[in-house]
Amino acid sequence: MLRIRDLAVTFRTDDGPVEAVRGIDLDVRRGEVLALVGESGSGKSVTAMAVLSLLPATATRTGSIELDGRELTTLTEAQLNGVRGKEISMVFQEPMTALNPSMRIGDQIAEALLNHGVGTKQEAARRAVELLARVGIPEPERRAAGYAHEMSGGQRQRVVIAIALACEPKLIIADEPTTALDVTVQAEILDLIRELAHSSGTSFLLVTHNMGVVADIADRVAVMYRGEMVEHGTALQVLREPTADYTKRLLDAVPRLPEGGETVPPAGEPDGTGPGGVALPVPVLSLRESSVTYRKAGKSFTALDGVSVEIAAGEILGLVGESGSGKSTLGKVALGLAPTSGGELRLFGEKLGRGGLRGRAERRLRGRVGAIFQDPGSSLDPRTTVGEAIAEPLVVHRAVRPMSGRDRAARVRELLEAVELPASYASRFPHELSGGQRQRIGLARAIALEPELIIADEPTSALDVSVQAAVLKVLRELQERMDFACLFISHDLAVVHEFSHRVAVMHEGRIVELGATDDVLLRPQHPYSQRLLASVPVPDPVAQRERRIARLAARSAA
Amino acid sequence: MVEAARTAVRTASGGAGILRFLGRRLVQGVIVILIVTLIVFALLHLAMPQGPAQGILGMQATQEQIDAFNRANGFDRPLWQQYFTFLSQIAVGDLGDSFKLNRPVADAIGQRLPKTLVLALISMAVALVVAIPMGIYQAVRRGKTGDYVFTTMNFIIYSTPSFFLGLVLVIVFAQWLGLVPALAPQGDTVAQVLAKPAGLVLPVATAALGIIATISRYMRSATIDNLSEDYVRTARAKGTPMPVVIRRHVVRNSLTPVIAMLGYYLPVMFGGMIVVESLFNYPGMGLLFWTSAQTGDYPVLLGCVLVIAVATVVGSILADLVQALLNPRTRGELA
Repeated sequence: MLRIRDLAVTFRTDDGPVEAVRGIDLDVRRGEVLALVGESGSGKSVTAMAVLSLLPATATRTGSIELDGRELTTLTEAQLNGVRGKEISMVFQEPMTALNPSMRIGDQIAEALLNHGVGTKQEAARRAVELLARVGIPEPERRAAGYAHEMSGGQRQRVVIAIALACEPKLIIADEPTTALDVTVQAEILDLIRELAHSSGTSFLLVTHNMGVVADIADRVAVMYRGEMVEHGTALQVLREPTADYTKRLLDAVPRLPEGGETVPPAGEPDGTGPGGVALPVPVLSLRESSVTYRKAGKSFTALDGVSVEIAAGEILGLVGESGSGKSTLGKVALGLAPTSGGELRLFGEKLGRGGLRGRAERRLRGRVGAIFQDPGSSLDPRTTVGEAIAEPLVVHRAVRPMSGRDRAARVRELLEAVELPASYASRFPHELSGGQRQRIGLARAIALEPELIIADEPTSALDVSVQAAVLKVLRELQERMDFACLFISHDLAVVHEFSHRVAVMHEGRIVELGATDDVLLRPQHPYSQRLLASVPVPDPVAQRERRIARLAARSAA
Repeated sequence: MVEAARTAVRTASGGAGILRFLGRRLVQGVIVILIVTLIVFALLHLAMPQGPAQGILGMQATQEQIDAFNRANGFDRPLWQQYFTFLSQIAVGDLGDSFKLNRPVADAIGQRLPKTLVLALISMAVALVVAIPMGIYQAVRRGKTGDYVFTTMNFIIYSTPSFFLGLVLVIVFAQWLGLVPALAPQGDTVAQVLAKPAGLVLPVATAALGIIATISRYMRSATIDNLSEDYVRTARAKGTPMPVVIRRHVVRNSLTPVIAMLGYYLPVMFGGMIVVESLFNYPGMGLLFWTSAQTGDYPVLLGCVLVIAVATVVGSILADLVQALLNPRTRGELA
């Protein structure tokens, strides 16, 4: 139905032309879900945008794109507007910003219909409500009159899908439709897409980097790498018996949870813990009944609700949960970045805050805690060199550890080598580095003061899987060598499983389950942990099919 | 000023108790006005340690005459007493008596202020009608010839002092071409001024040009920001033609920050009005302020500054309110 031949896209940039897509062929058949996978820079999103000519003005496109035998690349803008939304429509990655904040939801859906002359204003408004109901939005009449900010990310993505569905197109191109969503929400959206593909015969071109999503939903898979198509075939073939080297490497880099019942070698007992992961006295971090409340619009919102947790010396505690569960807030409390409204915080056995250490003594204690954040791009100052960024904590804490300029430079070189980067990188600026390299700089900065505890908040979530694997390897080696304790916050259960001694599951500001990694992630007891785990798609079509059936059965039983 | 507007946008769009936010702004406003009166009072006394007697009685006045004048007008009392007398008077709307005009200050300002407001509002309206489409056009044609032409023009206008700009306009349109009069219409009431609209053309043009240069820049950058938003891509992907996307989606979202800025622009306009009114001899508050400054008519000066301070505070609160109404996040709380 959709036939792409020899498609090439080149971007004009200040550094000369960049070939994003280099002559690929791709076919989407009627009623199928084709997954286009690859890492960042592979050209998969550019391919998706090229179909409807939604590329920026700096792009040049060559080749042929046919829809049912009709050439799309030669159409005028007006003719394209007849195709956009009518025959082919799109769903985008970021549901939080994909909708107009100051236009009513119903009007935004009706616009798609009215653009193509489907019915009158009243009919379009009525149809918009029906579409909202169709994509599973409760109280569709009320929602149609409301605005985007009143909805959650998952609901907004449903609205974007409703807009895409409005004119019953032949093909929906979905560019990372679930990447910005929590796994439980992702599972629901994928269920919706699957159901739409089956019931209305709509084809989907699904662009994603997530192999679990591919296994869950795709009929066929096409793998892209650096602008070229390296492999394509059925989902079963590509995921179970990949032929291209790149696909094999990509699949190997995907962290996965072992199947239930499968035994795994333990991650190694930390020094400070006794058998069974029970913390021994003097934990590096101890929270007792800690709460954090934010005031918003006059109402108070409890981000952390009486949480008690301890991390022993040298122990890695994985903290998992979905957005809004309070896991990042817990990390901020540990770093002293969020004021607690109740409870007790102890670092290295010393009480902090009210009735405890304050001022200089508190700062000295906090100097023994390092931090790594999610976005390696924005947590480094673009105007300071890598060397200055790494040296900053050494300068800030010079009162505690005086150091000459020469020693400091030597230490920076040492730290760069510790994170497996050449010492010459010290004079570079952050924009000259890749995402993975920047995150290693973040790591080097975090260990500069030889901390006894590191708070790592989603340190690899913004990275491609192959890069993530390399960064995690460095982090693990450093941990073994320096033996720091770590609060490892992540939404990726497989990564946490690989990395942690113990795991805590957070939900709505509380820790609902806490225990040894394998117990929590392979044999979860709490219903929420069970639901969370069931929602994570595994990159194997057969196993994922079983998991999906089990999850849907559990849901209808509940 | 722009930074202040942005802060207001952020605060108001956060949806955090907009009513409480506005209430807090009101209290802040009153404090600001009090501080302004104190500063102006202090400054004028620093400039005229002897009080305004010399300015009123003339250079020939003897020390006895000055002392008698000070005693009669209460200028021999301690400064703090004079200040509190002033405060208690303005609390009941009494701004004192002018030394030169032989009438209460409140009267003089009351007669002049409406005419200044009319001139300012017409100028603002004209400026918006030109600047908003100009900014949108520039944003859409960003980096192309049309954008550069308007940008260059705006920078020239922006960097030209408005009295010079006004003089150029007078020479070209009044003296050479003889299209419009060089003098503003005279009269005590707004109606008298509006009866001769031809005389308003040059004052309005002079005031509007500067505003156009500022607001079109602001509109341009707000539109450019919005054009790169994801919702524009969503709208295009439904097959909405680009001109409609701009009209229906982009313009409204881009206008919000510009409206916020207008409130902060109000006091700046008063400053501009002093120049424009004295240049064209327009009988408004700006001219009153100018002549009072020259004659040292100190109650009138203080009264004008107070009015401008109140207008500044009211303008910024109004801008916050309009913003809150435009933003669907905060609209519900005001209903």
